[in-house]
Amino acid sequence: MTVSGDLRAFAASARKELRIVRRYPLNYVGGVFWGALLPAVYVLMGQAYSGGSDPRAMQAFAERAGTTQFAGFVFVGYAMYMWLSIILWGPGTALRREQIQGSLEATMLTPVSRLVLLFGPGMSAIPNMLFTFVVTFVSLWVLFGVVPPLGALVPVLVILMIALPAMYAIGALFAAGVLRYGEIGPVVQIVRGTFVLACGITFPVAMLPAWAQAGAGLLPPTYVVEDIRAAVLRGVALPGLVSDLAVTAGLTLVIGALAMVVFGYLERSARRTGMLGRY
Amino acid sequence: MGELRAAIAIGKKDLTVLSRYRIAVVSQIFTPLYQGVIPAFLFGASFAVAGRVVGLEATVGTENLAGFIFLGGVVSGLVATSFWAMAMGLRNEMDAGTLEPVWLTPTRHETLVIGRALGGIVWFLISQIVLFAIGILVFGLRFDATILLALPALLVAIVGMVGVAYLLAGIVLLIRDANFFIDCTNFLFGVASGVAFPVTLLPGLFQAVALLLPTTYAMDLLRQYAIGARPTFDPRLEYAGLILSTLVLYPLGRRFFGRAERIMRVRGSLSQF
Repeated sequence: MTVSGDLRAFAASARKELRIVRRYPLNYVGGVFWGALLPAVYVLMGQAYSGGSDPRAMQAFAERAGTTQFAGFVFVGYAMYMWLSIILWGPGTALRREQIQGSLEATMLTPVSRLVLLFGPGMSAIPNMLFTFVVTFVSLWVLFGVVPPLGALVPVLVILMIALPAMYAIGALFAAGVLRYGEIGPVVQIVRGTFVLACGITFPVAMLPAWAQAGAGLLPPTYVVEDIRAAVLRGVALPGLVSDLAVTAGLTLVIGALAMVVFGYLERSARRTGMLGRY
Repeated sequence: MGELRAAIAIGKKDLTVLSRYRIAVVSQIFTPLYQGVIPAFLFGASFAVAGRVVGLEATVGTENLAGFIFLGGVVSGLVATSFWAMAMGLRNEMDAGTLEPVWLTPTRHETLVIGRALGGIVWFLISQIVLFAIGILVFGLRFDATILLALPALLVAIVGMVGVAYLLAGIVLLIRDANFFIDCTNFLFGVASGVAFPVTLLPGLFQAVALLLPTTYAMDLLRQYAIGARPTFDPRLEYAGLILSTLVLYPLGRRFFGRAERIMRVRGSLSQF
C-alpha cells in the first residue's frame, strides 16, 4: 500500500475513533467531576498540611516545589494525571477493545501499515486531553480564585504541542503490549501509579530519593508538568524552557521508535502463537 | 440462627472468590498505598520544616503525618468496603447471572447484604493489618495505646455503614449500571468524612453534610485517641452524634432496600442488566 493510502487509512481510523468519542458525551461528565474534585481535595489537604499557609511551611514547600502556590501546583499535576488516564485507558486499550469486539483480526488482514493500527486510536484522546486542560484551569479559577497569567498562554500552548506527541507515544508503546498479554487492565493501574509517583504529579520530584529522581528524568510527563508549572506559576518564558522541551521531544522520538519496534516484534510473535484471536 | 449461617456462608463465599484472584488481592493492598498513602505522605512531607510537619500541628494539633494519613485510610477503607463490597457486590451477582437464583432461596434478602458485610469486613481487617505493618516498617507509623478506646466508635460506625450499604444496594438494584455512581459517591463520602483533611476545611454546605455521617465522628474519635489530634467537638458529643446518625441510617437503609426490592418485583427487573 502507498504512503498516501496509509495516510487516508490513518485519517479514516482517526475519524472512526473521534466518532465513537462523540457518541458517548456522558463521559465528559466524569471528566468534569474528577478533573475538578480530585485536585480540589488535594488543595484542601495542602491547606491542612500547611497549617492554613503557615509562613515556615510555605517556605519549606517553595524550596522543594519552586512555588508557594500549591493550588496551581496540584491542579497542573492533576491535569497530567487525567492525561495519563485518558491515554492509558483510551488508545492504550484500543487494540484490546478491538480484540474483544472481534474486529482486531479482520483489521490486521487489511493491507494498511501496522503503524495506522498503532497510532490511529491516539486521535480519540486529543479532544479529551484538551477538554481536561480547560476543566483544570476553569475549576482552578472558580474553586480557588487562581487565574493563570495571560502571558503564560503561548508557552503553555507550545508545551502542549510538544507534549501531545509524547503522550501519544506512551499510549502507543503501552498499546503494543495487548498483542502479547491480552488483558491489560491491572497493568494500566500499575503503570499509571508509577507515573503518578515518579513524575511529580501530586508532590515535588525533590521529595523522591536520588535513584527515583534519575528514573523520573527518563519520563516525558516529568518535564511537561514541570514546564507548565514554570510557565503558569513562575512566569518563565519560552527561552527558559527550551532545554526541557528538547529533552521531551528527544524522549518522544525514542519512545515512538520503541513502540514501533515492540509492536513489530509482538505482532510477529502473535502471528506465531495465534494470540490475535484469543482473549 | 439459619439466617446467621446463611450470612456466614455468603461471607465465606465472597472471601473464597476473592482469594482465587491473587493479583486482585495484592492490588487491593498496594493500590491504596501507591495511589493514596505515598502521594499524600510525600505531599505532606514537602511542607515539613526540619522534619516536623508544623502546618499539620497547627491544623489538627499533632505533627504525626503518617498517623494522620494511615488512620484516614482506615475509615476510607471502611467506606470503600461498604460501597464496593457490600452494595456493589449485588451488581456483581447480577453480572454473573446468580442474583435471581440467590433471590429465590428462602434466605431473607436483607441477609444477602449482611453476608457481604461480614466478608467485606474480614477482608477490610486483613488489609488494614497489612497496611499498618507496612506503615510501621516503612513510614515510621506510630500511635498511642489509647487507640483501643476508639474501637467502640469504629464498631458503631460499621453498623452505620451497613445501613448506608442497604441504601446503596437499593439504588444499585434500581439503576443497575451503577459503577460511576458508586465511584463518585464513595469518593465524596470519604472526603466528607474527613479521611483526607479535617472537615472544618470543607465548604459550608459540605460541613453540614459531614455532620450527618457516622464516619465523620468515628474518624475524629479515632485520630483523637490514636495520635492525640485535636477533636472537632467534645468527644461525648461526637459519640452522641455517631450513635444518633447510626440509629437513623440503619433503619432508613433497611427501609429503602425493602422498597427498592418491591419496585424491582413489580418491574420484573431482577434479571435485567
